[in-house]
Amino acid sequence: MSDSVRPSPLAARLSLIFAVVALVGLFLFPYGTLSRNFNAQSLLQRFPAGLTNFTGTPFENVPSVSSALAIGWATLLTLAACIYAAVSRARWLWIAGLLALLLGAAAIVVFNSSLNAAVAELVAQGVRARRIPWTSGGMHLGLFLPPLAGLVTIFAGLSMHERWWERLNRLRGLLVPVAAIALAIAVGALVVLVVQPVPNGLERPLSIGELLTGKLDVVWYVYTTLFAPITNLNGLFDSLKLATPLIFTGLGVAFGFRAGLFNIGGPGQLTMGGIAAMLVGVYAPLPAFLLLPATVLAAALGGAVWGAVPGLLKARFGSSEVINTIMLNYIASAVFIFLIGSSTFPFLGKTYTLPIKDEGFEAKSKVFQEGAQLAPIANWLSFTRGDTTLFSLGPVLALLVFAALYYGLRRVQARLWIALAAAVVVGFLTWHAVGVPVTGSFSASRLNTSFLIGLVCAVLMGVLLWRTSAGYALRAVGLSPAAAEYGGISVGKNVILAMTLSGALIGLGATHYTMGGALDEYRLKGNMPVNVGFDGIAVALMGQSTPGGVVAAAILFGTVDTGGVDVDRVLDKVNKDIVTVLKSLIVLFIAAGGFLSRRITDPPPPQLVKAVDASGSDASARLTPGEAAHEASTPLPNVGRSSEVIAQDVLGGDVVAEENIDKERKS
Amino acid sequence: MSAFLTALLSVTFAGIFIRSTVPLLLTALGGLYSERSGVVNIALEGLIIFGALAGAIVTKELDAPLGAAAPWVGWLGGMLVGGLIAWIHAVLSIKYRADQVISGTAINLLATGVPPVVLTALYNSSTESPAVEHPLPLWGMGDLRFSPPVYFALLVVIITWYVVYRTPYGLRLRASGEHPGAASSMGVNVKRMRYSAVILSGVLAGTAGVFLSIGNLEAYVRNISAGAGFIALAALIFGQWKPLGVLAATLLFGFLQALSIQLGGTTLLPSSLVQALPYLITVLALIFTGRSRAPKAVGKPLD
Repeated sequence: MSDSVRPSPLAARLSLIFAVVALVGLFLFPYGTLSRNFNAQSLLQRFPAGLTNFTGTPFENVPSVSSALAIGWATLLTLAACIYAAVSRARWLWIAGLLALLLGAAAIVVFNSSLNAAVAELVAQGVRARRIPWTSGGMHLGLFLPPLAGLVTIFAGLSMHERWWERLNRLRGLLVPVAAIALAIAVGALVVLVVQPVPNGLERPLSIGELLTGKLDVVWYVYTTLFAPITNLNGLFDSLKLATPLIFTGLGVAFGFRAGLFNIGGPGQLTMGGIAAMLVGVYAPLPAFLLLPATVLAAALGGAVWGAVPGLLKARFGSSEVINTIMLNYIASAVFIFLIGSSTFPFLGKTYTLPIKDEGFEAKSKVFQEGAQLAPIANWLSFTRGDTTLFSLGPVLALLVFAALYYGLRRVQARLWIALAAAVVVGFLTWHAVGVPVTGSFSASRLNTSFLIGLVCAVLMGVLLWRTSAGYALRAVGLSPAAAEYGGISVGKNVILAMTLSGALIGLGATHYTMGGALDEYRLKGNMPVNVGFDGIAVALMGQSTPGGVVAAAILFGTVDTGGVDVDRVLDKVNKDIVTVLKSLIVLFIAAGGFLSRRITDPPPPQLVKAVDASGSDASARLTPGEAAHEASTPLPNVGRSSEVIAQDVLGGDVVAEENIDKERKS
Repeated sequence: MSAFLTALLSVTFAGIFIRSTVPLLLTALGGLYSERSGVVNIALEGLIIFGALAGAIVTKELDAPLGAAAPWVGWLGGMLVGGLIAWIHAVLSIKYRADQVISGTAINLLATGVPPVVLTALYNSSTESPAVEHPLPLWGMGDLRFSPPVYFALLVVIITWYVVYRTPYGLRLRASGEHPGAASSMGVNVKRMRYSAVILSGVLAGTAGVFLSIGNLEAYVRNISAGAGFIALAALIFGQWKPLGVLAATLLFGFLQALSIQLGGTTLLPSSLVQALPYLITVLALIFTGRSRAPKAVGKPLD
């Protein structure tokens, strides 16, 4: 296998293309350099061609950026090395890629910090803003290309080793969501470009150059703001808060997908979960230790009932669960309004009172009992020392210790227990001792225990689906109902079960809004954003219907939702609805398989490829003109073709050879 | 009670009845083409919204230069945009073999996200467009005066019946949905049939949207479709994918909607629950039709 120590031609070509684009992009995209309110944009436009002034107004005094420039040139050199390695299909291709990735990332960091320093200095000097009324920075867009090219080159280079190839193959599932996100971001950027005019801080109209850079500035601003919440603790907590209901709805929809069912009834199940939780949480006369679990279970039950009905109808009468869940959304909404919209209702000419709605104008229920309220996570993840509130690092340290011991003590049998004990001890010692200071708004965070319930649900769902026979049956029904039926699995029973559990998961999401007080009060309120039920579809698709993927996708969407609020605050023409557009685009592109070739996302099995390879040069896998014409005239290539014909295609034999084999058998 | 019955027999009620039937009818007939060709079209709701939005915006923008002709161009705009969005659904589900329900859901999601962005960009309001000066004209007499899409809808029923059962196009359409392999081997270009049918469904749903925004109201407002697309889909199933069945089913659902509007003002029943009536009936209706009479190849991409 002398071929296997060199990158394959395809891999080399891929990394060549990306490296060349990155190299050219570094020179071209200074045009796309995003500038700020000052003319400090020159900072980045210096690289690599020197100072370019598009605005006509003189530059401010810009601090030295020699270190940033040096790294930029080094990145350029490694890209050149990548190109050379790709052309010669060198064994060290992946090393060049790794260097490009590291240097490219370093360049971004250094450029960005130089930029922030420059802006800070100008602001300190009191220089008046020139164009755009924001102080946050921009970037040399071309700088994003080298790390990307580096990443592709690493993968391409490593793919020549069989072990790495197998590891990379396991990541194949990420291709479609990642491509979908990238495409959605690109299309979203286009929307922002068209829709949002450049804010003008000048008395005169903007020139074409200013307009162009200003437009790109807007795009940059929108996306940095959308993804900004990751970078600070308060933002992170807000993101997790908005992610909590998405975890539940995403898990619910994903659970349905696994059983081959499309549960589009998230809004209705969420509503019914909320109503059931309200009925128990407000009115049940139970002691506190029973009330809390009873309320949580009620939420699950409410959603489960609303999910079971379409499941039952599908199993019994064969009516599509898609239409039925949609209809039940509207019915749930009507029930919701009936219960908390008004305290009286007319019936056959008489008026009856319904004591569920609280007094006042707003549609809301009465407050949940004390015992039915879920504690904010901020309460028990923080402690005060003197006047400052500190975010406890105890749980993080405990988790690190656990991971280190669990993976470090591979040979010890009782490693799980040792690691657990050590984690508990470390957590206990550091919980109220080690921490980072946080601002006051942190303790007001509405992230609540519901988030942890969501994580537990994700784990349980994973265990149920992949570690139990019931889960096996569910997945079998999802993959092929006919085969499952033939294998002795009752399709109807599993359809009902799957829809019930799917609804229960989504119904649990209501605990976040009602018991967790995510809407500022511990009540069922009319402004409960039931549309997160639909967002669950996007989350489930993004997460590839796996529990871990769903949690990750939910946190990503929660982050973008949080950022959307900031975008809304600053821009006048782009508001947080851009986030909805991004989500729907992601669903659209995932449905289209990320527009990736099926050869990439769903390659033919290796045995088939080997058979083709064994039959000679890869030319035999191509069609001759005659065969191509025959193929084209056959409307359905795989219908009516006998297995012999396919085998003959694969093995590259012809009819005569086939006959010879027959003769040999006879003789 | 008797006062209610006389209200039910009044001309006003007939007007409400017809006005709530027409968008369902147009949309369901659009869905009929799409599903008969073998493509599930759950995107109808979104297509209505896009049609309504485009109709209102085009009319508003052309109000000044074109005057009374503006709504007609707006209608055309709504049809075009509906067709265009449906074309996206067609490309995804035919060319890229996407799951048709997911692709349709994506378009419905898009219809919740795009209108606020467009409206904010144009009119600085995320929920509604400004009222147009010239909505579609009202034809008819007395209280029974309707905008042209109402008459157009009746025409479409007849045309659809004729096209589906009496023309070669209809034969090919039905064949594509029932047995695309066989149709294909007889020389029918199944993919082209499906493209045309899905785009046609977008055009008709777009017309339904135009009727809602500038034929019934004078502006686009948020949630203008109020689930009409989904009810139309249910009517299509209830009507067993047949033009006359669809007419009967949409008349039933339109009657229920009109009834809930009429009951909303009375003290007979809680209005919120009455509004759920059409949806409840839909669930019950689906029990009796189920999936048994659907075109056989619906939802299956062609290789």
